[in-house]
Amino acid sequence: MAELLRRLLRSPQGAIGLALVLLVLVLALAGPALAPHDPEALSPLRRYRPPSADYLLGTDQLGRDILSRLLAGARATVLLALLATALGTLAGAVIGTASAFLGGKVDEAVMRTVDAVMAVPSLLLSLLIVSVLGRGAENAVLAIAIAFTPGMARITRSVALAVRQQDYVNAAIARGEGAGYIVLREMLPNVIAPIVVEMSIRVAFAVMLFATLSFLGLGAQPPASEWGLMVSEARRFMHLSPWMILWPAAAIALVAVGFNLLGDGLRDALNPRT
Amino acid sequence: MTTRRQILAGATALGASGLPATLRAQTATPRRGGTLRMSVDQAVAKLNPLLTRVNPEYLVAELLYSGLTRLSTDMTPEPDLAERWSASDDLVTWTFTLRPDVAFHDGSACTSADVVASFEAMLDPATASPARNNIGPIAKVEARDPRTVVFTLRAPYADLPVMLAYTNARIVPAALSKAPGLARLDREAVGTGPFRLVSYEPERQVVVERNPRYYDPQRPHLDRVEIVVYPDPTAESSALISGSTDVMMLALPTEFARLQRASGVNALRTPSGQFCNVNLGCDTAPFNDVRVRQALALTVDRAAMVDFVAEGFGTQGNDTPLNSAYTYYRELPMRRPDINAAKRLLAEAGHANGIRATLIASDRPAVRTQLAVALKEMARPAGFEIEVRTMPHATYLEQVWRKGSFYIGFYNMQPTADGIFSLLYTSNAAWNETRWNNAEFDRLIEAARSTADTARRRELYGQAQQLMHRDVPSIIPVFFDLLAATRSYVQNYKLHPRGAVFRLDHVWLGEGAPRRG
Amino acid sequence: MSGRYLLRRTGLILYTLLVVSVLVFGITQVLPADAATMLLGENATPEQLAAIRERLGLNDPIWTQYLRWLGGVVTGDFGTSMRTGLPVLPQIAEALSRSLLLAALSIGLMLVLALPLGILAAVRRGRPVDLLVSLASYVGISLPEFVTATLAILVFADWLGWLPPTGYVPLTEDPARSLLHLILPVATISLILVAHVSRMVRSELVDALHTDYVRAARLKGLPERVVLRRHALRNALLPTITIVALDVGYVLGGIIVVEEIFAIPGIGRTLIVAVQNRDLPMIQAGALVMAATYCIANFLADLAYAALDRRIQYG
Repeated sequence: MAELLRRLLRSPQGAIGLALVLLVLVLALAGPALAPHDPEALSPLRRYRPPSADYLLGTDQLGRDILSRLLAGARATVLLALLATALGTLAGAVIGTASAFLGGKVDEAVMRTVDAVMAVPSLLLSLLIVSVLGRGAENAVLAIAIAFTPGMARITRSVALAVRQQDYVNAAIARGEGAGYIVLREMLPNVIAPIVVEMSIRVAFAVMLFATLSFLGLGAQPPASEWGLMVSEARRFMHLSPWMILWPAAAIALVAVGFNLLGDGLRDALNPRT
Repeated sequence: MTTRRQILAGATALGASGLPATLRAQTATPRRGGTLRMSVDQAVAKLNPLLTRVNPEYLVAELLYSGLTRLSTDMTPEPDLAERWSASDDLVTWTFTLRPDVAFHDGSACTSADVVASFEAMLDPATASPARNNIGPIAKVEARDPRTVVFTLRAPYADLPVMLAYTNARIVPAALSKAPGLARLDREAVGTGPFRLVSYEPERQVVVERNPRYYDPQRPHLDRVEIVVYPDPTAESSALISGSTDVMMLALPTEFARLQRASGVNALRTPSGQFCNVNLGCDTAPFNDVRVRQALALTVDRAAMVDFVAEGFGTQGNDTPLNSAYTYYRELPMRRPDINAAKRLLAEAGHANGIRATLIASDRPAVRTQLAVALKEMARPAGFEIEVRTMPHATYLEQVWRKGSFYIGFYNMQPTADGIFSLLYTSNAAWNETRWNNAEFDRLIEAARSTADTARRRELYGQAQQLMHRDVPSIIPVFFDLLAATRSYVQNYKLHPRGAVFRLDHVWLGEGAPRRG
Repeated sequence: MSGRYLLRRTGLILYTLLVVSVLVFGITQVLPADAATMLLGENATPEQLAAIRERLGLNDPIWTQYLRWLGGVVTGDFGTSMRTGLPVLPQIAEALSRSLLLAALSIGLMLVLALPLGILAAVRRGRPVDLLVSLASYVGISLPEFVTATLAILVFADWLGWLPPTGYVPLTEDPARSLLHLILPVATISLILVAHVSRMVRSELVDALHTDYVRAARLKGLPERVVLRRHALRNALLPTITIVALDVGYVLGGIIVVEEIFAIPGIGRTLIVAVQNRDLPMIQAGALVMAATYCIANFLADLAYAALDRRIQYG
C-alpha cells in the first residue's frame, strides 16, 4: 500500500489528483462547519452580488451566500456520486469478469441480458427509474448505479477477455487452478487498472448525471444546495449574474478533474509493466 | 332599461370594419405583407380549438378560428363572428346576430347551425373541452334563423358576452363537431380565422398564411406567420436578441432586463391578474383555524416577494385574487409583515410552540418553488417550520392539486371577477382548492352574477374581497406583470393583460424587417 | 459471417426489443398520473377524465392494452399519440432522422478528432503535447452538456453573434442554415465524446505499446511507424470499438439535453415530452427505436471486433 502511494505521488497526475480529491473529501466532511454564513438565509437587499470581502463568491437569486451553499452542498454532491459509482462499478465488474471467465452459454446469456438493459439509454433509464421511485437523492443514486452497471459489465468483460488470452492466465489454467482462483488472483487484478480508469471517469459522470437529472427536474430538489441543482437553478439567472453558474460549474469541474487525475495516477501506479 | 341596453348590447357602433376604437386610433398606415416569426415556450400539442389548454395553443386557435365575441384589452367584449347581441331583462335569454357571408377555410358557409353545434360540442362532457366550465350557465343553444343564435341560461348571468370570448369557445364546422369528425381537427384546421393552416408539427413549428376568405378584407396585414417552439427560455431570448425571431410570446422576469438592454428590441410589459398563491386547506388542521392562516399571512414580506418571485416585475398581492387589472378591484390596506402579531395569533390558536408543515410546489413554472423557498424562510421567525417538497407537475396534478392542504398554486388572469371567484373560491367552484366554503361569500358572488348595475356589482365584489382578505383562504403575495418582447420593426403588437389574447391580425412589419420564408 | 449467425443475431435483437417493450410498458404503468390527467391538466373534472380514459382505452386491463399495442406494432401500426391525436409512426420517423443526423455528425467529428489526439498523446507520452491533450480532455469530460451548451450559446450566439442560438431547420428546407444551426449542438455532444474516447485510445495504446509482441516487433527491427500501425494500434482499437458502440447509446440518451436546449425536435426530446405527458404509444415507440438503433450499432461493433480480432491472431 505504501509502495502504491509512493508510486502514485511520483507522477504529477497522481499527486495533483490525490490532493484535489482529498481536499474535496475534507470539504465534504467539514463543509457545513466551515461555511461563513447560513446557507439558507435569504435577503432581498443583497441579491446577485458579485464576489466581495463579505461574500467571497457572491450571492444568489435569493441573496444567499454562494460559498456557504457550495460548502454545504459538497457532501451531497461528492459522497452520493461516489456511492452511485461504487455500487454500479462493483455490480458491473463482478458480472463482467465472471461472464468473461465462464464464457460459452453463460457468457452469452449474461451479455444478452446486459445488452437488453443497455439498449435503453442510461439517461432514459435513470429518468424512468426516478419517475417511478419518486424524486430525491437516494433514488437518483440507485438510478445512476443501475444505469452504470451494464456499461461497466461490458467494459470489464471486454478487458477480461483480453486478459484471459494472456499467457499467465493460460498458464494458470494449464496448472489446473480452480475457477475462483483464476478469476480472483489472476484475472481481476489485471482487470483492475482499466476499471479504475473507467471508474474515475464515472465518478465525474455521476456528478454530471446528477446535474443533468436536476436540469430535467428529477434530481435533488430545492432548497438543497447540491451542486448540479445549483447549476441548473443558476441557468435561469445567468444573464443577471454569471457568477451564480460559474462557481458550482467550476466546483463540479474541479471534482471531476480531481477524480480523473487520480484515476490516471492510480492507473500508472497499478500497472506493474510501466 | 335604456342603460341596461346600452351596457349589454353589442358594440355595432364601432362600424363595419369591426375594429375597436383603440386600434383604429393607430396613426401609421399598416403595411401589407411579410412573414412574422413568433417564438413560444412550449409545444402546440392540441390543434383542436375546443381542446386547447396552454397559451401557444390559444394563439394558434386564435389565428385559425373565430369566436362569437373577443376580449378587448380592458376586458370588455367586442364583436367577432357575432356583430351584435342583446339580453332579455332578466339576463336569462341572450340573442346573438352573426355577420353575413362568413365562410370556413374550405369555402363552406358558417351559419348559426355551426355555432349551435360548436357550443353543443363544448358542453358535451364526452368532448372534454375546458370551455364547459368556463362559458357560463348555458342551458340551451338554438338557431332562430341562419344568422341568429339564442342562448337560454340556467340562471341570470351578466357576463355572458365576456365569457363567450373564452379561449376554447371557438366555432368549428357542424360536420366536424362530433366524433369521429372531431378527431380530424387534431391534424387539420377548418375555421373562419384570419389565417389558415400551412403546416403543423407540434414540437417544432406551426405555419399559417393569410386566409383570403376572412370576413374583414383589411386584415390580416401579414402574409404568413411562423410559430416556433423554444423549450428553453434563455435560448428563446437569445433567438430574439440575435434576430432569429420577431416576437417572443412570453419573457421570463429573469430574462427581461437583458431584453430591455438589447438593441433593436422592444421589451413589453403590462400589469396582469396572473398570480402565485399558497393554498391553505380550510377544513384541515392546522389551517382550519383562521388565526393560523392570518398568522402565516402576517409573516409574508410582500415587497420582498415581488423581488424574489417576479424580479421586481410584479405587484404586491393582498390575499385576494383581484388586483388593479380587474374592473371590480377594491383597494384595501396592504397587509404588512408583523412577526410579533403572527406569534400572538399562533399562541392564541394553541400553537405557542410553533407549527410544522410540508409545503408542496410543482416544478412548473419555476416561480412556484421560488415562492415556497422564500415563504419557508420568512415564516420561520414566527414559529413555522416549513419543509418544501418539489414534485413533477404530473404527480402534483394527480396527488396534490385540489386534494392537498398546503401547496403553491399558479393562475392566469380571468376575464371577469366572477370568472376567478367562481373558478377557485366559491363553495361550488370548479376548482375549490381551499374548501373555504363561506356562505356569505357565496351569496355575494351569486348576487353580483345576476346584477347588471355596475355600481351595485362593484359594492358586492368589494365586500367579497374584504371578506376574503380577512379570512385568508389562500395567501396571494404577488401578481406578475406579463412580459414579452418584439423586434423594433414589429408594429402594433399589444400585450393583453389576460395573457391568452394576441391579435396578430392587427400586426404588421415596418421598416427594417428581414425577409423570411 | 454465416447466414445462421445473422439469423440468430436478428432473433436476439427482436427478443431484446420485446424485453424492452415489456419493461417500458411495465414502468409506464407504475408512473404516477396518466395521459388523461395530463391532457386535461387543471381543467379535469371526474366525468371528463372518464370520457378521455374511455376514448384512449386506458380503462382496459393492462394486458389487453399491451397486446392491443403489440398487435398493432406487428402489423406496422404504432397507434396515435395520446397527447396530440396524431399518428405515431411518421412523427417518430421524422424525429429519428433528425437525431440520427445529429448523432452521425457528432460521432463523425469525434472519430476525426479523438483518434489522432489519443494516438498523439500516447506516442508522445509525458511530453507537452500529451499534457495539453490530457488537460483539454479533463476539462471536456468535466462539464455537463447543459453547461457547455449554455456557455456556447452565451459566447458564440449572444456575445460574438456568429451562430444562431438555437432552433432547427430541416436539411431539405435550407441546407446551409440547417448546418449552421447544427454546429453548436454537434460541438456540444462531440466535446465529451472526444475527451472520453481520446483518453481511452491513449490508455489502450499506452498499454499495447508495452506488450510483449510490440517489444518483439521492435526487437525484430521494424520501424516504429509499422510497429504502431500493424501491432499496437489494432490491439488498442479493440476496446475502443466497444467504447464507441457504448457511446452510441450514450449519444442517443445524451442528446436529450442537447435537443432540449437547442430546440431540436429529435427522438430524445420526443421521449422527454412523452414521459412528462404519459403519452404511452409515443414512449413505447421512442424507446423501441432507441433500443433498435443501439442494438444495430452494437451488432456492427461486434462484427468489427471479430474481424479485427481475427487479424490480430492470425494476421
